[in-house]
Amino acid sequence: MNGSFANAVRSDWFGPLLVTIVAVAIVGGFNPSFLSPLNIQVLLLAIAVNGLIAFSQMLIIAIGQMNLSVGAIGGLCAIVFAGMMDAWHVPASLAALTALSLGVICGVINGFLIARTGISAFVITLASLSVYKGINLGITHAQPFYDISDGVKSIGQGAIFGIIPWLMLPTMAVGLALWFMLNRQPIGRFILAVGGNQHAAELSGISIANTVVIAHALSGFLAALAGLLLVARLQMGQPTIGDDWLILSFAAPVIGGAVLAGGHVSVPATLLGG
Amino acid sequence: MSYSDVPAKGPSGDIVGKPRRNATETRFYLTNEFGLIALIVVFALGFKFTTEGFFSAFNLFTLGRIAAVNIMIGLAMMVVVMTGGLNLAVGAIGVCAAMTCGYLIEVVGLPWPLAILSAVALGALLGFINGWTSVRTGLHSFIITLATMSIFFGVMIFLTRAESYRALPPVFAAFGRIKLLGFFSPLLLVSLMAALVLGYLYNLTAVGREMLAAGAKPEAAEMSGINVGRIFIYCHMLSGALAACAALMLVARNGAAIPSMAGQLGQDWLLIAFLGPVLGGTLLAGGKASVLGTCLGAFLVTMLTSGLLLLQLGDFWIQSFLGLLLLAAVLMDKTRRTFLARRNMA
Repeated sequence: MNGSFANAVRSDWFGPLLVTIVAVAIVGGFNPSFLSPLNIQVLLLAIAVNGLIAFSQMLIIAIGQMNLSVGAIGGLCAIVFAGMMDAWHVPASLAALTALSLGVICGVINGFLIARTGISAFVITLASLSVYKGINLGITHAQPFYDISDGVKSIGQGAIFGIIPWLMLPTMAVGLALWFMLNRQPIGRFILAVGGNQHAAELSGISIANTVVIAHALSGFLAALAGLLLVARLQMGQPTIGDDWLILSFAAPVIGGAVLAGGHVSVPATLLGG
Repeated sequence: MSYSDVPAKGPSGDIVGKPRRNATETRFYLTNEFGLIALIVVFALGFKFTTEGFFSAFNLFTLGRIAAVNIMIGLAMMVVVMTGGLNLAVGAIGVCAAMTCGYLIEVVGLPWPLAILSAVALGALLGFINGWTSVRTGLHSFIITLATMSIFFGVMIFLTRAESYRALPPVFAAFGRIKLLGFFSPLLLVSLMAALVLGYLYNLTAVGREMLAAGAKPEAAEMSGINVGRIFIYCHMLSGALAACAALMLVARNGAAIPSMAGQLGQDWLLIAFLGPVLGGTLLAGGKASVLGTCLGAFLVTMLTSGLLLLQLGDFWIQSFLGLLLLAAVLMDKTRRTFLARRNMA
């Protein structure tokens, strides 16, 4: 019993959890409306999106790189999702599928360029940030898409038992999946190995290029998912979605104990950081 | 392969000197600085033929004015990046310094040289807070400056109520408008001066060498008797002072001190701040600083933006093309290096 508690204290997620609880207690004490069902629901909505953004960056931090284009990918996919429903009246599920695949494609382009050219991820994603954001502006001319299908709107507003928003579900699912992948699946271990020591990983037979591309593809997928959730939450497709994700995406994983040099990340701590 | 396969290098046309000289020459051609100069020349020629008025006196003047500020922002980031740290608060510090300068002139009534000095001193002080906190707590400067950027910016917005100082003495705006020889902005001279000072610092002074050593390997530097913590604090102070200079130059360009001139929380400066050093070959891991590279990198990006605007490709697509050009630029640089490295091996 004592041992498991000591283990918990030592783990990455303990610090952020403690801070979160203390902060909730203090703010709730000063202002009781902080713990009202409405505010909790609003808070959880924000966490649902921020958590995904943080996960998207966390995967890239795990391989020891940075992905500056998380916001640009998320914004572009959100626009494509909303735009397809608005302009072409495509069913929401098809639009969502297209947008998510676009996110994966954007990520693969990033990963491929980085793995193939050996140029630092920082420079590549900085350039692709500009490209993706530019395409976003080129499509929308900085005008939002308003005509979102009602199904998406109701999901964005709905909540289970009036407290837990529907949008929280994808984030929880992704969190579990990522935890399972990073801790139990070969590809997850590969990702961490590449981040920990690229040379050693290569010598042990891991394909660096493939791992990098897969990590970026997943990162693109999660950024796209965050973009979709935000469209559901805002009830429209804003071209400015993603502009302010950069700092946030780094803050949560780093507060959660991820090492910027790579090889060490924690899923629950990242979520608590967000 | 024999040396005769190596083509003549340089305009002098003397083919293949001694192997040793050849090696140093190749090393020069392999540097980031040479690559950036080549890219700048290539793109400048490209814009000359595709746009009207890229080399007009007016465009060169505005280009120089924007490049001057971007170079200064790049240098402000570089001095911290070379220690392996990051300073996300460059924009916030810059705006704080600019607003202080405006306040001291307009409300307190200090003469402008004193106000400028105080603003730079404030920048250094805010940098000191960053450095001291990061060294004392042992946390990565990424987290510390992430927090301080919100704090600095928040305090600034609270104190100024987000209002600008527009009644600055005409000296400021005049300095931003002077054209030397018809096209050269004196703001560029300020940036070049800062670059020269930094170059002198890193190459010829003990403190500068200690900064490089501390950035490359803090443990080893500590063992050789360098007070690494103090050096890191110096670097952050330098970064704060340079950020303040950049903001003051922006004030000269705008003719007013505006709270939103670096965007929300000063985020608009971040990309520019990283682009210069990274393109210039400063390692994000620390230990290497390229002052010339940072200047050239910041200049290249400014030039690409300006050229794209002149190309009139449609307002909304410009950002995409800037990204594509950046990608093309780094890929060309990569190809050049691979090509040269292969030649050298042969």
